[in-house]
Amino acid sequence: MEVIESIVDLVFLALTSMVPLLLGATGEIITERSGIVNIGIEGIFLLSALTSTIIDYFTGNLILALLTGILTGMIIGLLHGLISTYLRGDQIVAGVGLNVFAYGISVIALVTIWGTFGNSPSVLTIPKFKIFGHALSPLVPISMVIATTVWYFLYRTGLGLRLRACGEDPKAAEAMGINVLRTRLLATVIGASLAGLGGSYLSIDWVGQFTKEISAGRGFIALANVAFSNWNPLMAILGAFIFGFFDALAIHLSIVSLQPALAYLFKTIPYLGTLAVVSIFFKRTRIPPALGKPYIKE
Amino acid sequence: MSKLGSLLRGWRLSEYLVIIIEVCGSIALGIGIATSLLYVLGFDPGKGMALLLGGGFTDPDYLLSRATFIMMTGLAFSIPLMAGLFNIGGEGQMYVGGLVSLLTAIYTGNLLLALIAGGAAGLALGLFIAALRVYRGVNEVISSIMLNWTLYYLTIYLITNTFYDPLAPHESIKVPLSARLGFISINGFKLHVIFPISLVFILLAYYVLYHTKIGFEIRASGLSPKAAKYASLNPERAMIYAMCLGGFFGGVAGALNVLGFTYYIDTLLTTMYGMGFDGIGVALMGRGHPIGIVFSSIFFSMLIIGGQSMQMALNAPKEVADALSGIIIMALALPYAYRMVLSYLRARRLISRGSY
Repeated sequence: MEVIESIVDLVFLALTSMVPLLLGATGEIITERSGIVNIGIEGIFLLSALTSTIIDYFTGNLILALLTGILTGMIIGLLHGLISTYLRGDQIVAGVGLNVFAYGISVIALVTIWGTFGNSPSVLTIPKFKIFGHALSPLVPISMVIATTVWYFLYRTGLGLRLRACGEDPKAAEAMGINVLRTRLLATVIGASLAGLGGSYLSIDWVGQFTKEISAGRGFIALANVAFSNWNPLMAILGAFIFGFFDALAIHLSIVSLQPALAYLFKTIPYLGTLAVVSIFFKRTRIPPALGKPYIKE
Repeated sequence: MSKLGSLLRGWRLSEYLVIIIEVCGSIALGIGIATSLLYVLGFDPGKGMALLLGGGFTDPDYLLSRATFIMMTGLAFSIPLMAGLFNIGGEGQMYVGGLVSLLTAIYTGNLLLALIAGGAAGLALGLFIAALRVYRGVNEVISSIMLNWTLYYLTIYLITNTFYDPLAPHESIKVPLSARLGFISINGFKLHVIFPISLVFILLAYYVLYHTKIGFEIRASGLSPKAAKYASLNPERAMIYAMCLGGFFGGVAGALNVLGFTYYIDTLLTTMYGMGFDGIGVALMGRGHPIGIVFSSIFFSMLIIGGQSMQMALNAPKEVADALSGIIIMALALPYAYRMVLSYLRARRLISRGSY
């Protein structure tokens, strides 16, 4: 019985930790399908987690806090999108700069607002619903619905086809009458807004406070999920569950083992697990051909 | 047309000019935003920026020693970039280099062996990332970050659990005296010997990149993999070479940190944390050239130490320096934007002169 109970616990923990990985990956799939790569998801997670914690702390309004997180993502996406499209910048370098910038800003905010270097005070979290005796955040099903909707949009609608054309062959897309740069900019903004929602989830839903290591590489695990899913949001649900499961396993083991020193060792599980999974599955994926290449209009 | 103008039409010189404008423009943009950030936070922006940019010069030895590590992680990023790879795993390569050289020093007491072991550990990690990319198609950005975090926690685990100093439990066992790199004294000015050593490594990198077949293969493959293939070079082999070299220098960064500066690793890795990422800015600002990296590493070292002195004097968070370098990196991603501004200015000048 105990074994079954811990497995059920683990599954629910995995459902909890998969949300940011799924939202981040779904957003990134939209962005990358249009031909732009944004490795700044990590930074978006951090900044959105921060801004929604701030709003939550000062107003106690959770809806407003969530919207602020999404808006934060959109603003960063707009910046990254402009750099990647009209300014023809290097997308990877810009993303790296974004992550460094986000880290700096988040610590500055912690220090100036709450006077601490590690974490904010606890804030109100999104109310959970009960299922099979376990509390679950409403964002768990919502994130899955979002992923399914994005899949429908990308693969079953004309607009989705136009978006994907920009990532497949931007010249042909332009000839079809699509404004490639504007489409890519929009895709980056929308993708980043989903990552922003994921960041808000981290602080005002899951953890209940902001800590400076709140994202802990999750932005990059979401990136791994994008490639694992072969740029398909439905597969990303499965991927997020698998990667979230590693995370859950690490948390579960460090609670069960009762040895604080071992906790550090268990913390390597999500990263090693992700690495193992991508090493097995990456070979079979098909990258959007125009991904990461600036489009220069003639 | 003036003589200078006709000179500037020559490609090479104007190219250098654009690079200088780019670097200066990025720094100016970063400083502008950081200044307004300080103002918004309620600190005296003039005083803050003076400390941030000038604080590093109060202790030249610390300035150069701090530059040493990010100079090496700068090489760790720039060499793979020449072959078309984004090695953002300098952080992990530095941790593993520091850890392995610490353990080697503890068990053998041999300085040279410890230094080589640290470099070799970084090299092995770089090779692993390159092999995953070449043979399994794993994007190096993802594998690098996963390995960074793995090594971060693994090192913390080993230091807190096994190799801690019983007298100071938040620090590891110290490097034995026989395996320490000390100081040199020039006219009474004491300097950690690691800085001159890192300059030797810079020369080594320069030699390998620009005067050997391996370096040629790396540079040619990065510029155009297709052309390199036609010239019977192997871009995939070049990636492996480049990641090995980059990983080696990342490992050396950690080894020099442990053997020549701190002599231990603390349980939160505070003495190393973040320096792998600083290397990215260093490499980009140095335009990937080993000599450029020397100067940009001193610049970033100045920012990091300046941030610390600003925190001490004004109680303003030192992470303003991080925000500043983030903006500089983002601005350095935009070579085209600068060219656009330049050509716009040139066109306007010509129009206003009426010679267009």
